[in-house]
Amino acid sequence: MNYLKRHGQPFLGLLIILILGAILSPHASDGSNVFISPGNLSDVLLQQSETGIIALGMTFVIIGAGIDLSVGAILAFSGCLAATAMMKWMPAATGAGPILLAVIVALIGGALVGAINGWVITRIGLQPFVMTLAMMIGLRGFTKWSTGNVNIDLGFNPVDPNTGLVTHTPSGDFCQLFSDKLFAIGLWAVLAFLSFLLLHQTVFGRYLRAIGENEKAAGYTGLPVKNVRLLTYIGIGVLAALAGMIHAARSHQGNPNDGMGYELDAIAAVVIGGTALAGGRGSIVGTVVGTLVLGLITNVMRLQLIDSNIEMIVKGLIIIVAVWLQRRTQATAS
Amino acid sequence: MIECRNIQKNYGGVAAVKNVSLRIEPGEVHALCGENGAGKSSLARIIAGITRPDSGEILLEGKPVTWSGPQQAREAGVSIILQELDLFAHLSIAENLALGNPKLEKSKWVSRAALHDAVKPLLKDVGLDIDPSLPLDTLSVSHWQLVAIARVLGIDAKIIFMDEPTSALTADAVDRLFGLIARLKARGVSIVYVSHKMDEIFRIGDRVSVMRDGALIGTEKCSETTIDQVIRQMVGRAVLIQRGTLNAPSETTPPVLELESVSTRKLRDISFSLRPGEIFGVAGLVASGRSELGRMLFGLSPITGGTVELAGSAYEPADPRDALSHGVALVPEDRQREGLFAGMSIRENATLANLRKFSHATFIDGAGEKAASTGALERCNTKLAHDELPVSALSGGNQQKVLIGKWLMTEPKVCFFDDPTRGIDIGAKDDIYKLLAKLAGEGLGVIWVSSELPELIANAHRILVLYEGRAMGILDAATATQEDIMRLATAHPQLIS
Repeated sequence: MNYLKRHGQPFLGLLIILILGAILSPHASDGSNVFISPGNLSDVLLQQSETGIIALGMTFVIIGAGIDLSVGAILAFSGCLAATAMMKWMPAATGAGPILLAVIVALIGGALVGAINGWVITRIGLQPFVMTLAMMIGLRGFTKWSTGNVNIDLGFNPVDPNTGLVTHTPSGDFCQLFSDKLFAIGLWAVLAFLSFLLLHQTVFGRYLRAIGENEKAAGYTGLPVKNVRLLTYIGIGVLAALAGMIHAARSHQGNPNDGMGYELDAIAAVVIGGTALAGGRGSIVGTVVGTLVLGLITNVMRLQLIDSNIEMIVKGLIIIVAVWLQRRTQATAS
Repeated sequence: MIECRNIQKNYGGVAAVKNVSLRIEPGEVHALCGENGAGKSSLARIIAGITRPDSGEILLEGKPVTWSGPQQAREAGVSIILQELDLFAHLSIAENLALGNPKLEKSKWVSRAALHDAVKPLLKDVGLDIDPSLPLDTLSVSHWQLVAIARVLGIDAKIIFMDEPTSALTADAVDRLFGLIARLKARGVSIVYVSHKMDEIFRIGDRVSVMRDGALIGTEKCSETTIDQVIRQMVGRAVLIQRGTLNAPSETTPPVLELESVSTRKLRDISFSLRPGEIFGVAGLVASGRSELGRMLFGLSPITGGTVELAGSAYEPADPRDALSHGVALVPEDRQREGLFAGMSIRENATLANLRKFSHATFIDGAGEKAASTGALERCNTKLAHDELPVSALSGGNQQKVLIGKWLMTEPKVCFFDDPTRGIDIGAKDDIYKLLAKLAGEGLGVIWVSSELPELIANAHRILVLYEGRAMGILDAATATQEDIMRLATAHPQLIS
């Protein structure tokens, strides 16, 4: 109950949007409500799973008083990396080998980029904004250059039109697996649960909150300030790589130009969820709700066939209103 | 020339300046001295228009004035050079001098060459032969101080307040400053010289006013008083000191900490040894290096010379983590900025340094943490019904106890308390004294910095007195007087009779 009182605001917003969506929703020919149909809602979850997974990592980075602008670039980089591994490095192989290679290479790639971000920020002392901005630009350039700015097609599992028999290819299976609704949404849910435990139940989470709250006092307390912050950047790199694989699977290609603006969507979700940009305070549940709010808003407006540019205006307004309401409740609480 | 009558200023119920009346004559160097927190800087800030008094009046050449801010006071000829210099690091020397100077600032478009020509004589006056186009942050702190003085010279001040102006100056810069003060005096400018350095006061002062606990104790001609007399006025009448009952540390146990002519950037040749169970007081005025001693022991300031032995083996901490693992803890001076996590609960604050002790495979054991927090608070004689409340909800005294509890949980051999009773109420102070005595009784080596001499004398075994990073002496607290300590702290040991 106490929890709801403190974190109720994003939930209330979510509820309002759900009700609004249901009321405004068009109806299918059989009279059923399109918006609240399981198919539509699970589509929203699948669409938001990429942003949602990145936003989990962003929550940790922001609680540690940092920011990561390079996640969109990491998403494209790791997607292309996975595609390259399957299509260029092991083009003739069959079975699970190429898929395994693709996953491992993409995850290591994401972790490595995150480690570079974190290392420069904690050891050389560049501001997180500056370092990850530079990485966002540089890594995007690297990905485009190394792919020759050409999409790497993953293709589909070919189906024999006469017999209906499916021939399994590694890249086709990869796409089928990672774009599967249950898999992508399930992965997001499991990661959200693990993030929740990590933030609220573990030594790492406690250290991170302390560091974001008062870095100097954290150092005086003997906490491993630099390593904890470094880990948040490695973590978000890995999560962005996972999102990159879902993205590549859903679009059946590794596209060096994808994922632009994802960093801002992730930050928006975190902020709507009540995590303070100044660090020290935040919530995983809030971030998940924030991600859902953004996805549902888009969905409601698309069902109304509203211009997608107006959609962006509304998103912007929602960020302002959400943060304004949070500040008000905090002011009355203290 | 300028006079203040019955000036009173309270901060949250505590009087910083109590009913002070003071008259500054034209062309005099008026020294204003007192211990840390005696109210001398507060008084200077009020007369110079930075702070508004709660009551009382200021008269400039006989006419009452009310300053709207320092700008107005400056235009009327009353300037102040603050201890924390209000200069702009990224602007050039010339631009710094022009800001707030109506003559140099009068046109919106400043010709750089004209500005540089205009400021050169000002810089020459303070003995700075330097290119005025250089940005300020390329200069040393000593030069910053001189630039701050030059800025005031540029506005034809009639009265200049200087708040501890020599604290950052090198010896030859001090000589130049004194030469400048003599020239200003000859021009009829009055100087109010806020300082606690006796030799300086008696070198340049015409009259000296002593403040204590916000009140003006007296004003004398420097030629008619003595350093001894001024120190006695700073300290006050013999305060009845109730010495606590302290168990003497055992003579047979080997020392837990030994310093052998240790130097750092701010300390020179410090030697002492600390026994388990001993409360070792450290006294000294601001910038005497007393906090630096703690920073050195806690791995925040590297040792540049000498040796430290902790429990018999060489000790040179790389950082606080390293210091903690060797059993050295530090309760920092600035509770808010260096100690507390304001957004976290009391329990989370108390257990943060020891989280690993009650966590299994990185998962925190909630029950274990709760028990540890309760135990730590009980050890500090604090009972709080709800340690899930934010720590910011506690009083200063209780916050300090939470911090002390946090450090005790690391089971240190030596704990450095940096002015732990600052800004807490009298009842809580008493609790802290009892706590320190109890911890010493359990065998902890306690190093205790304090700004309040009576509490040190009453509750410590020995007292180290520092002056500008040097040890002036180690006194036995059982026989030491406040005058003894203050003489050492102001570098006048020869006057001890």
